[in-house]
Amino acid sequence: MQDIQYIGEHLLPGRLGHFFVVTAFVSAILAVLSFRKATLNPDDLSWRRFSRWSWGIHAFSLYSVIGLIFYMMTHKMYEYKYVWDHTNDSLPFKYIFSAFWEGQEGSFLLWMFWHVNLGIAVLFLAKKWAPGVMTWLSSIQVVLVSMIAGIYFADNFKMGSSPFSLLRETMNIPLFTRPDYITMIEGNGLNPLLQNYWMTIHPPTLFLGFASVSIPFCFAMTGLWMKEHTAWLKPAMPWTLFSAGVLGTGVLMGGAWAYEALSFGGYWAWDPVENMSLVPWLILLAGLHANFISRHTNHSIKTTYIFYLMAFLLVVYSTFLTRSGILGEESVHAFTQMGLEWQLVSFIFIYLGLGTYFIVSRNKSIPVVKKEELMQSREFWMFVGALILAFSSILISFTTSIPVWNKLIDVYGSIVGKGDMTAYHKAMPIDPVDHHNRFQLWIAVLVTVISSIGQVLRFNAMGWDVHKKRFWKHMAISAGISLVLSYLLSLWIDLRSWQYYVLLMAASFGFVSNLTYIVSFVRQKFTSWASPLSHAGFALMVIGIMVSGLNKRIISENRFAQEGLAEGLNAGENAFLIKGMPMYMNGFWVTYHTDTLVGLTRKYAVEFLKLGEKGDTLEHFTTHPNILYDRKMTKVATANPNTKRYLDRDVFTYVAGLPPEKQDVANVEKIDSALDYKTFYVRSGDSIQVGEYTIRVDSLMLGTKHNGYDPIENDLVVSADVAVHPTADVKEKSADTMAVQSKSAVVKNKRTQFIHPTLFVRKGLLYGLSDQVNDYNLRVRLKASTIDSLLPLDDNLQYEPLVISQGGSIHWKDLLITMKGIDKKIDHPNYKAEEGDIAIQGVFEITGKNGITHAARPLYFIRDGRGLNMKAYIPDLALHIRIESIDPKKEEFHLAVAKSMADPKVAIEIAEKAPRNDYIVLEAILFPGINLFWAGSLIMLFGIFLGLYKRLRKA
Amino acid sequence: MPFLILALMAAGVILLISASKDMSTYNSFAQVKAASEPSKVVGILAKDKPMYYDAEKDPNLFKFFMTDQSGELHEVTLHSAKPQDFELSEQVVVTGQFEGDEFVASSILMKCPSKYKNEEVLVRSNM
Repeated sequence: MQDIQYIGEHLLPGRLGHFFVVTAFVSAILAVLSFRKATLNPDDLSWRRFSRWSWGIHAFSLYSVIGLIFYMMTHKMYEYKYVWDHTNDSLPFKYIFSAFWEGQEGSFLLWMFWHVNLGIAVLFLAKKWAPGVMTWLSSIQVVLVSMIAGIYFADNFKMGSSPFSLLRETMNIPLFTRPDYITMIEGNGLNPLLQNYWMTIHPPTLFLGFASVSIPFCFAMTGLWMKEHTAWLKPAMPWTLFSAGVLGTGVLMGGAWAYEALSFGGYWAWDPVENMSLVPWLILLAGLHANFISRHTNHSIKTTYIFYLMAFLLVVYSTFLTRSGILGEESVHAFTQMGLEWQLVSFIFIYLGLGTYFIVSRNKSIPVVKKEELMQSREFWMFVGALILAFSSILISFTTSIPVWNKLIDVYGSIVGKGDMTAYHKAMPIDPVDHHNRFQLWIAVLVTVISSIGQVLRFNAMGWDVHKKRFWKHMAISAGISLVLSYLLSLWIDLRSWQYYVLLMAASFGFVSNLTYIVSFVRQKFTSWASPLSHAGFALMVIGIMVSGLNKRIISENRFAQEGLAEGLNAGENAFLIKGMPMYMNGFWVTYHTDTLVGLTRKYAVEFLKLGEKGDTLEHFTTHPNILYDRKMTKVATANPNTKRYLDRDVFTYVAGLPPEKQDVANVEKIDSALDYKTFYVRSGDSIQVGEYTIRVDSLMLGTKHNGYDPIENDLVVSADVAVHPTADVKEKSADTMAVQSKSAVVKNKRTQFIHPTLFVRKGLLYGLSDQVNDYNLRVRLKASTIDSLLPLDDNLQYEPLVISQGGSIHWKDLLITMKGIDKKIDHPNYKAEEGDIAIQGVFEITGKNGITHAARPLYFIRDGRGLNMKAYIPDLALHIRIESIDPKKEEFHLAVAKSMADPKVAIEIAEKAPRNDYIVLEAILFPGINLFWAGSLIMLFGIFLGLYKRLRKA
Repeated sequence: MPFLILALMAAGVILLISASKDMSTYNSFAQVKAASEPSKVVGILAKDKPMYYDAEKDPNLFKFFMTDQSGELHEVTLHSAKPQDFELSEQVVVTGQFEGDEFVASSILMKCPSKYKNEEVLVRSNM
């Protein structure tokens, strides 16, 4: 391809960006080297200064990279692939952050951003440990920067994916042969599922959590490296607590987001990406406990090393699983492959190698206590607890890594030359929730019980002979209270098998024991509440999980349809709701009342009513699930649930389906063209018979009552008032009786319904709005080609003069025209008053052949000395009236009247078997006690942060 | 303590073996039919074949056709609402079992290319 001179590209930001990425990379390498020197030569101030400068330059480079990308995004520079991929012209500014980290490069930058800030904090806070910790942190940064480097080696070997690549460099399409391609492109935009506030807060929190795991790891590696195996344990702990708190919050936010915005109705799905964000957190907690033990005794130092190393490696492994695309067929979060696999795998192995090397080579020098932990010591139980957490992680990772095992089998197969190994591949469990719960239930039992025991014991079993009485007393009281609590809860919770009874008792015990510990042992010292609060919070979480999971009820479930289905398969969780029609489901009367369009969102109002035996109201609320259209308003982009929250339960509602015509504008055309329309020519007042129904055109009018019509100025609108009723129904019920509905099963409405097929002219284009009676499956529209007779051009009319006075009547053709008077109050729709105007409207009544009287109010006004008028048009009579002039002396009005049709008829088209368009498919789930889960998790996190505060205060 | 660790490791191995029993495999329709227990089938959505969903008749009955990896075309029944934008998916992974000649899925994982940038949507029904 010859060199094309492209017009309008902004290449400077990209070039600057590349420059800063390279600077960040080089300065990170320099930081590693200089921090290392500073660690080995603590008294040499020059290395200290140089290393801090390196980090400063590294930080500045990364901030610049981030700033440049934001600049490119806010200025809509679609020549850059990253900007094109994640933004577009209509992206609301508040989602710019979400767009930034929607892609891999952005999330890597977010990770690096946090590392930079944490590094700065380390430099300020970690005192003598800073150089060592920073050596390791800088090394991690080197690897991370390489992920976005976008540097080519030897032609086809690429290191990293740069966010500054130009779109035309990454795609080879004919568009880029045009020098002015930039005027023709617009961005792809942010995935509609990510256009909410969660995408703004969850990733930064989660990534800060991930990034902060590096710090205890770096402390541990420094301790190993420098062979100082005890001194680092104290300064590291606050960082561990910070990390555990933030990462825990991040994971929980993910659950809250899933609960609020996703349709599966829950907060945790044991999805691989969810699992791999949880596992590092569990291992980090195990490390925290080991760290805690080693602070107070000399046990578990090696354990602490191993856990901190594993926690970091698992963060890297987690990012590998998420980004490499290896999860392909198994996860909702699986992203595209980016060609980064070899880098991500190397990332794991570099640190696995370094960690293993240092642990093995320093093994001899790590202090080990010969004496075993006593069973009556706190450290014994904490150690067991840490092992249980590790257990849990192994079980979760094992299943989650199935795609990795498959890949390894493939690698083995290719080495050994066995060929296609897909026969040996395994897939995820059929029911991952059931699978994981089976094991994690026992983990939860052990954690809640062990944490209670360990809490009340002392390190090194200090003073056991005296303390043991207090210990057993506490255990007995807690056991007693928790049995009562379990009993009470068992009345509420649907415990389906003995395992759940065990879990309930364990969780109750954990909750009660930790709280009574606070009351009996540490109530004076608030900061010492940290640990028992965390464990009580966790126990409460478990109770919340049990209630909301076991007592979960699908309100919208159709139990009657279960008949004849195999066991294990349900009839379905969705209900079909017709607008305005209450439907009884599982104790509730549910009515879909209205829907309102606000911007790109259509909000539905769904009312729930639960009546008691005496007809008293037990529950009454309305939820507002909504759907979001794409920016062209042609189809539904996504549906968002809405949850009614009570203190003791939540009702989750979600629009799972819509009529095809409401889902996608393309379906309107498709369905409409498949209908068989029959044309009828009728006069106002005439009735037609179609199928079982009588259709009567009551009148033709200007304007319309069609509620799908949005008025815009200068529209010309004509519509028909049409009444439809079953022919068999001789008595016509008035519209007022519609209000009273009998609460029985869905019955077809045997009453007259009124519809308003409409035609309107907007900016020279003709639009038709059909209307339908859903209950009768009838769709009616005005024949579009008759628009000229419905809204005839004034020039084509043959006006005839007519003179009339107020109060007078004249017969004209087959009409009786009576002038009632004049009205100074003007309501002519086309008239815009100007200063100096003198205007009046004539009040006329015109009676046609059939005796029906119509009103007409032609307008006459004087402006700048000229007499002007606006006509009144009665479509039913095809009559046009103008006031040409007024003779004030004779008190006569000179009219011009015209009849555009000798026999005014309207062409109406009717189709039977029109599919309903007035329903929603609703999913409604009841989650009792779910607030216990949120409350428990918040208490747990509060406990962790309280622990952090305690240690910061001490320092 | 070493005894405890050994005991835990033994328990761990036993649990992992138990866990691995839960693993499933990707099969073809023919294999699933023969096995008569739930399994997963990976395949391509047959877009030229009709998809059935009539919310008014039954909001929880959705049928479509897919071709498994052995090339066999078969209809899949899902007792749930039609997932949004289902027509856009290309590759689908269904989990389910045969009831007579009917393949009834308990969940579908859809892969929608380009529009959602290769992200995937998991539809879980009745879980």
